[in-house]
Amino acid sequence: MGALLVWVLRKWMPITAARGWLLSIFPLMSLGLLGRAWWLVEDKYLSWSWAWVPAANLNISFYYDALSALFGLMVAGIGVLILIYGGYYFADDKDANRFFAYLLLFMGMMLGVVVAGDLITMFLFWEGTSITSFLLVAYKYKYESARKGAFKALFITGGGGIALLAGSLFLGHIAGGYDFKTIFSQAEVIQQHELYWVVLGLIAFGAFTKSAQVPAHIWLPAAMSAPTPASAYLHSATMVKAGIYLLARLNPALGGTESWFWLLSTVGLVTMVTGAYWGIQQDDLKGLLAYSTISQLGVLTFLIGQETEIAFKALVIGVIAHALFKSALFMCAGIIDHETGTRLLSRLGGLRQSMPITFVVVVMAGLSLAGSPPMFGFLAKETLLATAVHPTLSTATSWLFVLAIVVAAAFKLVQAGLVIVDVFMGEPRDKGVKGHEAPWGMVMAPLLPALASMGVGLLPNTAIVATFFGKAAEAAYGDKVKVSLALWTGINIPLLLSMGAITAGLILFSQRSWLIKREERWSFNRVYDGVLGGMDRLAFWATRTQTGYLRHYLAVMMVAMWVLVLLLWRFDWPTLAPFELFDDTRLEFDLIRLVSLVTIVAAAVTTIVLKRDFGAILALGAVGLSVAVYMAVEPAPDVALVQIVVDLLATVILVLALDRLPREQRRAAQTLQSQISWLRAGIATGGGLLVAGMSYMALSTRPRVSLVTPYYEQSAKALTGASDIVGAVIVDFRALDTLIEITVFSLAGIGVFTLFRWAARKHGDHEAAVANRMEPSLAALMQFSIGERPVSAYLQAVVTMVLPVALVIGGIHMLYGHEQPGDGFTAGVIISLAIGLWYVVFGFRETRRRLWWLRPHGFISLGVLLVIVTGLISMGVEGYFLASVDFGKMIGLPLPEGMKFSSGFLFEVAIASAVVGGVSLILDTLGRPAALAVQIHRAAQAEFDEAEKMDSQ
Amino acid sequence: MVLLTSIGIGMLFGVAIYQMLQRNVIRSAIGIILLGNAINLFLLAAGSQNGLVPAYDKAKDVMPDALPQAFVLTAIVISMGGVAVILAMLYIVSARYGTGDLDEINGLKH
Repeated sequence: MGALLVWVLRKWMPITAARGWLLSIFPLMSLGLLGRAWWLVEDKYLSWSWAWVPAANLNISFYYDALSALFGLMVAGIGVLILIYGGYYFADDKDANRFFAYLLLFMGMMLGVVVAGDLITMFLFWEGTSITSFLLVAYKYKYESARKGAFKALFITGGGGIALLAGSLFLGHIAGGYDFKTIFSQAEVIQQHELYWVVLGLIAFGAFTKSAQVPAHIWLPAAMSAPTPASAYLHSATMVKAGIYLLARLNPALGGTESWFWLLSTVGLVTMVTGAYWGIQQDDLKGLLAYSTISQLGVLTFLIGQETEIAFKALVIGVIAHALFKSALFMCAGIIDHETGTRLLSRLGGLRQSMPITFVVVVMAGLSLAGSPPMFGFLAKETLLATAVHPTLSTATSWLFVLAIVVAAAFKLVQAGLVIVDVFMGEPRDKGVKGHEAPWGMVMAPLLPALASMGVGLLPNTAIVATFFGKAAEAAYGDKVKVSLALWTGINIPLLLSMGAITAGLILFSQRSWLIKREERWSFNRVYDGVLGGMDRLAFWATRTQTGYLRHYLAVMMVAMWVLVLLLWRFDWPTLAPFELFDDTRLEFDLIRLVSLVTIVAAAVTTIVLKRDFGAILALGAVGLSVAVYMAVEPAPDVALVQIVVDLLATVILVLALDRLPREQRRAAQTLQSQISWLRAGIATGGGLLVAGMSYMALSTRPRVSLVTPYYEQSAKALTGASDIVGAVIVDFRALDTLIEITVFSLAGIGVFTLFRWAARKHGDHEAAVANRMEPSLAALMQFSIGERPVSAYLQAVVTMVLPVALVIGGIHMLYGHEQPGDGFTAGVIISLAIGLWYVVFGFRETRRRLWWLRPHGFISLGVLLVIVTGLISMGVEGYFLASVDFGKMIGLPLPEGMKFSSGFLFEVAIASAVVGGVSLILDTLGRPAALAVQIHRAAQAEFDEAEKMDSQ
Repeated sequence: MVLLTSIGIGMLFGVAIYQMLQRNVIRSAIGIILLGNAINLFLLAAGSQNGLVPAYDKAKDVMPDALPQAFVLTAIVISMGGVAVILAMLYIVSARYGTGDLDEINGLKH
């Protein structure tokens, strides 16, 4: 809980002064709070939960017990030191605020991981650590190695994160909940479940990638391109321990089985030995430490795999011991790098004189790494060896384990020797490398954990620490664990083995020139590169399938639809309607329908047959009108009305668009028609057959009982005062739909406008470049219609009258929308049609000049705003948005029968307004004469130039 | 009638697809409008009742289903907006490439 509060606060803390000492307050605070919280809980646990998505049974919850406390205190404690250290490391870097922000964010995420109370919360924080770690590794993003290393880390740990999520979902499903309490109580069920191995595999994979187990370890050395404070913190003490924490946390639920034992032991041991061996081969000091970390993580994984009390004792000691000495060593590596400018072992040497304190620190931490007394690392190794020789294992495996541990311990001693001797003793290998001591605060940071490393081993009064460790180990083990921290336990097998390991290590170290090769070897990086390269190639081939030809896409879609239909159909016919052509009771209706269907199809075929585009567009209009006839006999008068007017409008728009295409282009395109493509015909026939069949099945088999329609029919009059049920559905029952619809329609208008005016201008399309910069004197030239032909005055007179008539018709439609066919859509489109006629007859300029009040954007905003305002007012009256209210009745307006001043009426007005706005935008843009405009613009420009010339003379 | 309607819708759909596949820009636009008509017809025919009189309150006889009618009404208007946008895009693209032949417009492919 305490950590949480700090975490929340910390996220919002401004990182201004951002220097180590100041910022270390935050981890210090959480350190104090975590400690305090631990003191409060003692051997119980704290948990807290908040329902996040109750429907999906997802919570944000936290769980704090001894194991959490162990890791949490470690994260916060090392965090304090790292921030102080980082303050010095970045002392002269103004840009480092970013680094500290990332580091604090990471710290919060890491604390989140260890106090998370369920798998989902844990996953969130887990991914958070992956991402913040990516940011930290890529901090020096100008270097390619940093970018590559960061990507590698994110790729591998992110992949592990996905596995963890999948595993968590399985686990939560089996256990019946995601929180740890539930999971622990279901341990038996989980282990007996048939999907146990899936859960185990996925979760272990997630943990292994995070904790850099072989073969996923390759990201850790690559991540060494991070600034050293980050490496010291993330890649030694904290982030890589997240996987260990996860395994330890779930051990009571998942552990104890044969597969658990073998999986963790094998991976752990392999990682331990290979990490220790490769560590020796490194030239880079940080690389050496990274491999040594990998080795130690292998040890910890191995320990969790064991099902003995002493293993968990070894685990907690190992975690803390490693965190202490490894962070100290990393910080020292950073100091050496910082003060000498290099961290290559082949260049360093003899720094003992120039950097005495660092030397002392490295010796202490290095001895701990080597596992020699009296350091904490010795204790860790002792307990580890004790685990391996524990009598519960079979003899053969036991000896294999022991051998592996001894070998690894010997290698580690060599590593420690390299760090201590090769860096500080002797003479510098490269004479140019000279060091001097770092500021005291920077040295103090690694000194503290190094001292602690020794202190835990030496100080006599360690009962409190031992109890705490014991509790943490119990939480992971699931049973009582007694931890004693005595260094001397008498002469026993572990001690003898330890001696053997030290001796072997010393011998190896003296022969190191033979052992160390430092050359390019085969590694799992090749696999990684191969996988990435393969993905690139796959993506390349996948994009090759995009031919760019519409017919190919449509063909694929049609075939896919056929396959889907055949698959889902499974060769059993649903019971179809009786096979009869006509229904006797409505014979006259059916005859009209038949006629309209025949006209529809005939007109549609005509659009193909006709050679000229203009003719095809007219035939298209005929299709639309025939559809309207079919609608009228449905009987659906409202729909038929809208269909008629929209069809006319669409024809007008198409003609306008046709006019804008250059004539020679059109002619060239028309000649293409004569070629009949069999592919095209095949696709069309296939699609048509499919749709016909599907329609037949759908129309004849679906239950002819609607769920909502009866409700609309009964309550239309009562609730909205509308006789026209369709109208009531549109403006009242489904008013929100309609609001969205008119918005979409208006957006279409704005989209056309934008496409032509701005997008086109940006790309230098000539006709769009001509804006409204006409001289008024040129208006006389404008008595041309579209197509630049003069129009007879009689026609002009008629057209002039059409607009007011259309306005009146539209008004009636709006007023009586609830009582008779027609509504706001129809009204809007009728008015728009009249305007469209003006564009056709008078031409663009003249229309714009005479209809000065026609402001498309204004109409659109008026429409949308009116709906919202009406909706809000009726919410004030009725209590919900877009309620139906009869305002006329409310304020007592005397209105004739059938005419209403209601929210419905206002809605109709709004629809009409938005439609008029949208359509006139489209007309305005498409109706802008291209060639003529250019011509006139040039004329105007010439006139203007002439005037300029006159002026200058 | 169900059978005849289905055949009609299917044929209209087939013609629409054929037109959409034409290389001529304007024919493609025609195809899209035809497709919209076919779909609207289908929706309307799929209403739950076969009406004899329009859907009005206190109608004397069987009413057609009002809900698909409302949907189709909305769809008609929306599809006109969509057609306008598609036309604008077709026009812009074909103007930039200086051709009305869709097959020659392939600069977006790579």
